[in-house]
Amino acid sequence: MVASDLVSEEDITKLIVPDDLSNEQPTLTAYIEAKVYDKEGHIIRYHRQPMRSPTQWLLALMAIPIIQTFQGPSTYQAVSFLVNVLGLPSQQSTYSPPQYCCNGANILWDFSIVLGSGTQGFSPTLNSLAAPIANGSGAGQLSYGSVSVTYSGTTIYTYVTVINYSPTTINVTEIGLEGIIYIQFQNTNNAYQNATYNYLLTYDTFSPAIVLPPGAIATFKIALTFLG
Amino acid sequence: MMIGKGIEDINVRIPDDAFNVSNYEPTFNVYLTAVVRDSEGRIIKVHRQRSRSPTANFIALFLPLSYFTSNNASATITNATGGTYSFSQALGSSGISIPYPNSNSSGNEPSYFLMIQVGSGSQPDPYSAYSLAAPISNGSGAGQLVYGNITLPTSIMLHGNTAYFYITQTYNNMSGGTVTITEVGIIVYLKLANYINTEVYNVGNTLIWYDVLSSPISVPNAGSVTIYYTFAVNP
Repeated sequence: MVASDLVSEEDITKLIVPDDLSNEQPTLTAYIEAKVYDKEGHIIRYHRQPMRSPTQWLLALMAIPIIQTFQGPSTYQAVSFLVNVLGLPSQQSTYSPPQYCCNGANILWDFSIVLGSGTQGFSPTLNSLAAPIANGSGAGQLSYGSVSVTYSGTTIYTYVTVINYSPTTINVTEIGLEGIIYIQFQNTNNAYQNATYNYLLTYDTFSPAIVLPPGAIATFKIALTFLG
Repeated sequence: MMIGKGIEDINVRIPDDAFNVSNYEPTFNVYLTAVVRDSEGRIIKVHRQRSRSPTANFIALFLPLSYFTSNNASATITNATGGTYSFSQALGSSGISIPYPNSNSSGNEPSYFLMIQVGSGSQPDPYSAYSLAAPISNGSGAGQLVYGNITLPTSIMLHGNTAYFYITQTYNNMSGGTVTITEVGIIVYLKLANYINTEVYNVGNTLIWYDVLSSPISVPNAGSVTIYYTFAVNP
């Protein structure tokens, strides 16, 4: 393809985020799955749907393996993307030993699944569900089990199991994949500490709702598959 | 309604209807754009294609903590010379992950973006690639390109529900002849360490993303090419 000369940032944007390429499989495809069991263990609902709505926070998290953390080999400052977008420190304050020594900091992240009973319009800057369902056994609450993650080839599966111990039926109408970034370091008191930063990575709604009667157990799964 | 039996295999296969080839949901896409200029700076070609291939290294680095802790698992990185490094993340001093800049001047183990590398070869399995098949060297000799400045993103750009950032690098051809590019990859200089730096893996040059071009790009003598990698959600 031969193009006339580029004259503005707008022209570049049209080139680098093209809308005229063929409808090939995206670099990332994802789906959500829900299985609901009654209190006797019978499956009473099985539902799956494409995951449609990654937020800018998923994009930002995926940027870390690509652009890494340091500005360069001898510049001990975080790349500005991490500071500007994710709100991470340009430099983590750490304990500085009196003698030349080594302790530093590292970064890692985890996934979690959050459920809600509300709905809201999508925006790539969303950072929470409309009406998160709290962890507990009271009215309108669900007891969340621990999150597990498996990985097979190019797919990462994140699961959570919830139980409705409350006496009332709970309708799950929204789901999100949450990301928690940890920066680990030795603090200025020379003790271990991690700083956490939370982000809503994806946001999707269920229509109709996933209904959990009293005593029901439900497993929610989010699968992220990269092209390989 | 009681469903009960008959769906025992739903955990072990990806449902076909989640990958309907005729109706993909736009989630996350990566684009590769190359703008070629002649010796006068005029654009003579714009190449655009879908970028298809995060490598196994990318996915290993993207794995969340729970993968390691709930499976007592490790992941493996292969550097550009074929060396392998297994690591396992954890909260605490046993966990190995990407170092973060910190105020202890003697406690920094820099891990950073190195370059968009270009090459003149190809390989059939991008996911498993750990280096370009035939990297084009930085220089002005025959078959070489002068690697120019890198522009890393400083923010995410929003356009409606689309959010994106891009990385770009320019290469000048001072070789005296045409240089042809057929493959492109993102290389980082990777270190992995626990937070107290008692275990530091100096992994080195590591291929994170790799693409074979859908058609070769010829850069004329005294010309240049600028490559953009664009990462977008909800494009």
